[in-house]
Amino acid sequence: MKLSWFSPLPPAQTAVAQYTARLLPALCRQATVTLWTDQMDWDAQVEEYATVRRYDPDCAQWAELNRADMSVYHIGNSQFHGAIWRVSREAPGVVVLHDVRLQDLFRSVHQESEQRAEYLDVAEEFYGVRGRNAASDFWRDTLPSAYMAARYPFTPLAVAGALGVVVHTRESYLAVKRSSDCPLVHAALPHPLAAPRPRRSWAPPYRLILFGYIDWNRRLNEVLQALALFPERGRLRLDVYGQLFNTEDARARVRALGLDGLVTLHGFVPTTQLDAALAGAHLAINLRSPTMGEASFSQLQIWAHGLPSLVTPAGWYAALPGEVVAFVRPEHEQADLHAHWYALLADPERFVRMGEAGRRHLDAHHTPAAYAHAIIGLAAEAQRCRADAAARQLADRAATEMSVWLPPAASPEVFRQAATSIALLANGGRDGDA
Amino acid sequence: MRILIATAQVPFVWGGAEAHAEGLRAALCKEGHAAEIIRVPFKGYPPQRIPEQMLACRLLDVTESCGAPIDMLIGLKFPAYLIPHPNKVLWIVHQYRMAYELWDHPLLGELIHFPAGRQVRALIHAADRQLIPQARAVFANSQTVAGRLKRDCDIDATVLYHPPPHAEQFACTACEEYLFFPSRLNHLKRQALVLRALAHTRLPVRVRFAGWADEPGYLRELQRLAGDVGVARRVEWLGLVDEEEKRRQYARALAVVFPPEDEDYGYVTLESMLSSKAVVTCTDSGGPLEFVLHERTGLVVDPTPAALAAALDRVWGAREQARAWGEAGRARYDDLAISWRTVVRTLLA
Repeated sequence: MKLSWFSPLPPAQTAVAQYTARLLPALCRQATVTLWTDQMDWDAQVEEYATVRRYDPDCAQWAELNRADMSVYHIGNSQFHGAIWRVSREAPGVVVLHDVRLQDLFRSVHQESEQRAEYLDVAEEFYGVRGRNAASDFWRDTLPSAYMAARYPFTPLAVAGALGVVVHTRESYLAVKRSSDCPLVHAALPHPLAAPRPRRSWAPPYRLILFGYIDWNRRLNEVLQALALFPERGRLRLDVYGQLFNTEDARARVRALGLDGLVTLHGFVPTTQLDAALAGAHLAINLRSPTMGEASFSQLQIWAHGLPSLVTPAGWYAALPGEVVAFVRPEHEQADLHAHWYALLADPERFVRMGEAGRRHLDAHHTPAAYAHAIIGLAAEAQRCRADAAARQLADRAATEMSVWLPPAASPEVFRQAATSIALLANGGRDGDA
Repeated sequence: MRILIATAQVPFVWGGAEAHAEGLRAALCKEGHAAEIIRVPFKGYPPQRIPEQMLACRLLDVTESCGAPIDMLIGLKFPAYLIPHPNKVLWIVHQYRMAYELWDHPLLGELIHFPAGRQVRALIHAADRQLIPQARAVFANSQTVAGRLKRDCDIDATVLYHPPPHAEQFACTACEEYLFFPSRLNHLKRQALVLRALAHTRLPVRVRFAGWADEPGYLRELQRLAGDVGVARRVEWLGLVDEEEKRRQYARALAVVFPPEDEDYGYVTLESMLSSKAVVTCTDSGGPLEFVLHERTGLVVDPTPAALAAALDRVWGAREQARAWGEAGRARYDDLAISWRTVVRTLLA
């Protein structure tokens, strides 16, 4: 199978780029992949597995894309995915949802003032007048992202017209199921095991690590506060890797809490450096409150390195087995973190076992080969849905045309012949009326 | 019987398919039936228009007219052959070729260049596979078309040949110094290949082209090419000629050159045979290959300028041989017993 793969690529500062890079070896064993990107540069490493092509969303190379069997679009809640989403609207394919709450993506897609009207229209189409009003406030920055995430996540806009959808969590599966009837697969986010390394030394000071895109929901402030108040803090070190939501604010807080010698803000670092840091760390802190409904690629990286971790019991994390993670309740961060840190100091073997269990869990449930197989299976099924998708568009067009001259209260019978005819064109009517 | 012939027409484009419909109507009337042609206007771009025209055809009701039943529908072209009728027979001239063998054609691929292309193609394939077999019988106008139906849709179609218009009026007279190439001017007919071949001939071969360009500007493009390859003084562009003049040109030609790419049927081959003219065609020319026998009624060569040039030299230099192949072609046409009477009886059986 030939796949056109639209995804951020390393060194883009997003976990989706890492996901693609780490999936490629397994994926390319099962399919011929062309990577499409709007980035100006990318790590040469990905070209060991696939051809990389640049695209312009306003002028894509449709003939080349049409020669592939399926386009696979990676959509997440950040500006990295705006161009990808625009292409997906033009030429439907399989959508891989890395986040189910996409309010920030769609605000960034419509950030120009002339796009505001379209953004509000879409909000109203999916969420009614209340959604329109909320979107208007959000667009003007007078409503927080968390509010939109909880009520108006714009998920249906990402999957409208898709020929197939891949999600990584049960929550995402249920959310998409409500708004789309295209083939839908719940596949566990993949990650290969890291190469075995010598067993890390389990002696203080213990290195805590917090990494990824440190957005407002990653609870960094709460972690810093807990660390500052932890009586045994001198036996711990905290390393923070990744782009911070507000770097200056974080630095100021570290200083204000007197944590200068204990906390290091490294910023974004290359993958190899992060891998080395993970290999040398003793405990990962991977909190999300609220969760955006995503499975955590960071969590897979943690397990790949046999590292124990603390997570929030929400969304995808809540269903994780107790032996592979330890939980930190939202709004109880200080008490729970202190309890876990005391346990670490008293019984590090327990955390060694947790890291090993995490690594086994990753190997059992998150193999790239199984994930690639699921993607390719869905792509094959999606190919068979193309005629149905064309029929749906035709039905929309027919309905729009007929609504011009039919009264609003027209009998459904009026539409029956058109609907039956459309169904016949697409599938001989075997699935009933279009 | 009251019989409707359903076809599609790109407005202001007239070619073999349109003559085919007219010929069928005349033949049905001659056999005592009331026959009319309904032409669905067709526009293939943007691709979203195509499903709409397919739906429009499906929504037509041609089962009766003014309270009297229409007894039969004969469908010829996409999407008109999708029009429903309880007594429908298809005699397929061609499917929507851009969704099939021309999908990725370097010059003629159209759908592939649009983002919605694959979806529209999928719908066309689905509709053809589902709805063509619903006809009471499926015929194809050539082995080439039947072969495509089988290969692309796994649909069996019976080949049914028909004569070109005014078949009885073709004749052969004294030969003059030219090869004749009557056809619409477009990429598929490959006039450009003939121009490039002329640049390779050893003998002063001359070619008369008759026909008008489908796309404005294409004639100028060909004329520019003729100048670029240095053969402008050995070609004539007759433009659109009437049927009588066309027959006159056939009659006086030394031979006919007709090297299209995967032609559905090709009246030119049959008209050449009726005019007792040898035909030079190519190994990938489709329909003509069903009639031209290599070195017996003409020449079949590779579609390259060099190979075609050698063939043109051959018929130009061996006039007696060319004349003999032309006469053999006429005899072959007679042996095939191609007639409208056979067509009507077969379709109505």
